[in-house]
Amino acid sequence: MTPIHFLIPFVALTACALAETLKINGSTTVNLVVAEAAEILRAEQNLDIQVDTQGGSAGGISLLGDGLVQVGMSSKHLSAEDRAKYPAVQFRETHIGEDAVALIVSKDVWDGGVKALTKPQVRDIYEGRVMNWKDLGGPAQRIAFFNKEPGRGTWEVFVQWAYGGAKKAPQVSFPEVGGNEETRNKVGSTRGALSQLSASWADGQRIFALGIKGDDGAVIAPTPENIASQKYPLSRPLFILTNGEAQGAAKTLVDFVLSDRGQELVKKHGYLRLQDLK
Amino acid sequence: MTRAWSWLFSFVALAALALLVGIFVWQSGPVWRHEGLGYLTGAKWFFRQHEFGALAMIYGSIVVSLVALVLAAPLGWGAAVFIAEYLPPKARLAVKMLIELLAGVPSVVYGLLGILLLRNWIYEAFAPFDPLSGDTLLTAGVLLAVMVLPTIVTLSDDALRAVPAAQRRTARALGMTRAETILHVALPQARRGLGAALLLGIGRAMGETIAVFLVVGRQDNNLPERWLSLGPLLESGQTLTSKLAGSETNIGYGDPLHWAAMVGLGLILLLLTGGLTLLGTGLGRRTNA
Amino acid sequence: MRKLSDFLIATVAGVCALVAVGILVGLVAVIAQRGAPAMSWSFFTEQIRLVGAAGGIFWNLVGTIILLVAAFLICAPLALGLALVERVYLRSERMRRTLRTVLYTLNGLPSILFGLFGFIVFVQWCGWGKSWLIGGIVLALSMLPTVTVALIERLKAIPSKYVEAAAALGLSRAQIVWAVLLPQAWGGLITGSLLGLARAAGETAPIMFTATIFAGATLPTAIKDSPVLTLPYHIFILAQDSFDPAVGSKLWGAALVLLGLVFTLSLIALPSRLKIHEEADV
Repeated sequence: MTPIHFLIPFVALTACALAETLKINGSTTVNLVVAEAAEILRAEQNLDIQVDTQGGSAGGISLLGDGLVQVGMSSKHLSAEDRAKYPAVQFRETHIGEDAVALIVSKDVWDGGVKALTKPQVRDIYEGRVMNWKDLGGPAQRIAFFNKEPGRGTWEVFVQWAYGGAKKAPQVSFPEVGGNEETRNKVGSTRGALSQLSASWADGQRIFALGIKGDDGAVIAPTPENIASQKYPLSRPLFILTNGEAQGAAKTLVDFVLSDRGQELVKKHGYLRLQDLK
Repeated sequence: MTRAWSWLFSFVALAALALLVGIFVWQSGPVWRHEGLGYLTGAKWFFRQHEFGALAMIYGSIVVSLVALVLAAPLGWGAAVFIAEYLPPKARLAVKMLIELLAGVPSVVYGLLGILLLRNWIYEAFAPFDPLSGDTLLTAGVLLAVMVLPTIVTLSDDALRAVPAAQRRTARALGMTRAETILHVALPQARRGLGAALLLGIGRAMGETIAVFLVVGRQDNNLPERWLSLGPLLESGQTLTSKLAGSETNIGYGDPLHWAAMVGLGLILLLLTGGLTLLGTGLGRRTNA
Repeated sequence: MRKLSDFLIATVAGVCALVAVGILVGLVAVIAQRGAPAMSWSFFTEQIRLVGAAGGIFWNLVGTIILLVAAFLICAPLALGLALVERVYLRSERMRRTLRTVLYTLNGLPSILFGLFGFIVFVQWCGWGKSWLIGGIVLALSMLPTVTVALIERLKAIPSKYVEAAAALGLSRAQIVWAVLLPQAWGGLITGSLLGLARAAGETAPIMFTATIFAGATLPTAIKDSPVLTLPYHIFILAQDSFDPAVGSKLWGAALVLLGLVFTLSLIALPSRLKIHEEADV
């Protein structure tokens, strides 16, 4: 009569245990590749894979560290702090591709003349000293800066370039965006919008990727050549993380993503394959 | 036997609920020690620097709930008056059932409508005022207004129907028009119930999580200098619930102080909504005395 | 003059009612209109592919139903126990009032708090990870006040003459409960549960930390680390992230299906609720 008596036959009636379930969590950037790879492996090899994107790269690291998932996805390097937080975990980063973070703007800003920014200008915006695009040679429109959620790989790459690290970045308060799609959605539908986003997601119709103007005035745009040659400063590696050497289903996944077919997925979603980096 | 099982189950249920409240009190301990009352009055929330002030979020929660109420109350009361006083019994029942049905529309569906429709309407409609984007406290408030509308209508209708029919008949017999009966007989008597409907409506609005999360902008520390200014309505903000549904809940668990701060937000929310519901139910039941 | 104000009041009230009902019906109509293109047999029977842009919502629907069944099975005995204690076994009126007050207050508690509770106690302390069972527990707790109150009201409505007659016939208290009270209260349990489940079906906040993920789960096979896919969470994630037009109508379609589920649960409870209303409106 108790709930337990009802639940036991219920659980027993469900499908008998499949092979180990592979649980993955992490960055929305890497997710595009891994989720599709997982679908393929599920269909072809009958693997049971669960993918989630709670908390972005930081979520992937912490859930892997807590042992709640076997594979993490990250679009940033592990920090010393991350390793210190989970001393018992042997984080293994498997490089699967490269991506660049761009500063993206909405159409009205791009058409209004802003095609690149310098680092000092970016800092001014981030710290609230410049609030209107007209001060930067653009249209007279309020700067609507959407800051990526803390913990997102995209954000960390941004502050690494702009300030030298997450700890050195000043604490600011802007409206937040979470995943890549949400960022693209918001920037595309708001006038004067600016945010950080994976360069490959800028479609050139509603969202445009700004170039970085160096001290010499030269503009470096986030093109594949500039990213591969490391001229564009905001590039970041895409990782699959495991605790120790990947084994079992995790190894199958890693091997697949590193294979030609997997790397094609990387390219398909706009990122750079490992071979493109040579 | 039956008695023993009943007591056992009751005990399990009540223990679980007591555990819930207890956890929120206990696990938020560290942040109270760290910040003291500054946790409630501090306007800055910078989790990396371990600076935790919940005021901006309390402000956000209160503002969106008040906006919701200001919009929903007149409409809801007016609708309740019509349903309770002007509709024949069968029609009244039908409309009431319809509204209760519609009250069940899930929060996430409201959020979807908010993102894909409401947000752009507000952005375009208020363009002269130069809002940052369509995700503002006002957007959240308007969405909440629609969400609590059924609650206010239903409860207000109940309150009005609780006024005995005999009183209305007497008023009419004395020559009062229907409107006068409503204004001078029914409404004054139903005052408490109508107020209770408001309180319960605010309580629900304040506890609403997903819809608010999607359209409020999620900007921390946006506390205005003057409390009663209207400007902040067109800015993005953060509420207690939108913060809790966000990424910090996931990443905060490893850090005792950060986690305590998050749980503390839950505690504040619990006390606020619990208090409002208690007031509302107490008020509502006094009319049935 | 008085006639004018009479007319005005009636009109204003009528407009309010029209607007209120109009807004609510209108939003359902919008969802129906945008979600209709996605409705097809394959939508219901296929699983999500390409992050929502293709395929259907089969496992999401299954997962939601699993959570609802679990929630009902956990909630029912607890609600019954509480209702019987309140109506039959508690002697003092003050204790009864306290219990009812506790229940009403908990009824207004935001569901995210239940979600956090489940996250702390079951996901972390018990180490279960994300699990369908935690979802069931959390949803059961959040519907508990609704169901208990409905049961208590139903028990209150049983005419005392039945109980008196049974007692006069020499039935013990336990027998009275089983022979007289429970059969009548059964309807109240179902009605209250359906209302609670209708609300629980649409909840996202309590399950997003505790029971559901976005892709990859099918049927749970254990208690630990066995999340499910659910409709509300699916909509929640895609609502933030969807810019891809292909996702568009599928997203609305999922919303329509969820709405349909919620309305169906509410509507099944309708006949018995109408009966209670008629009994009460005497």
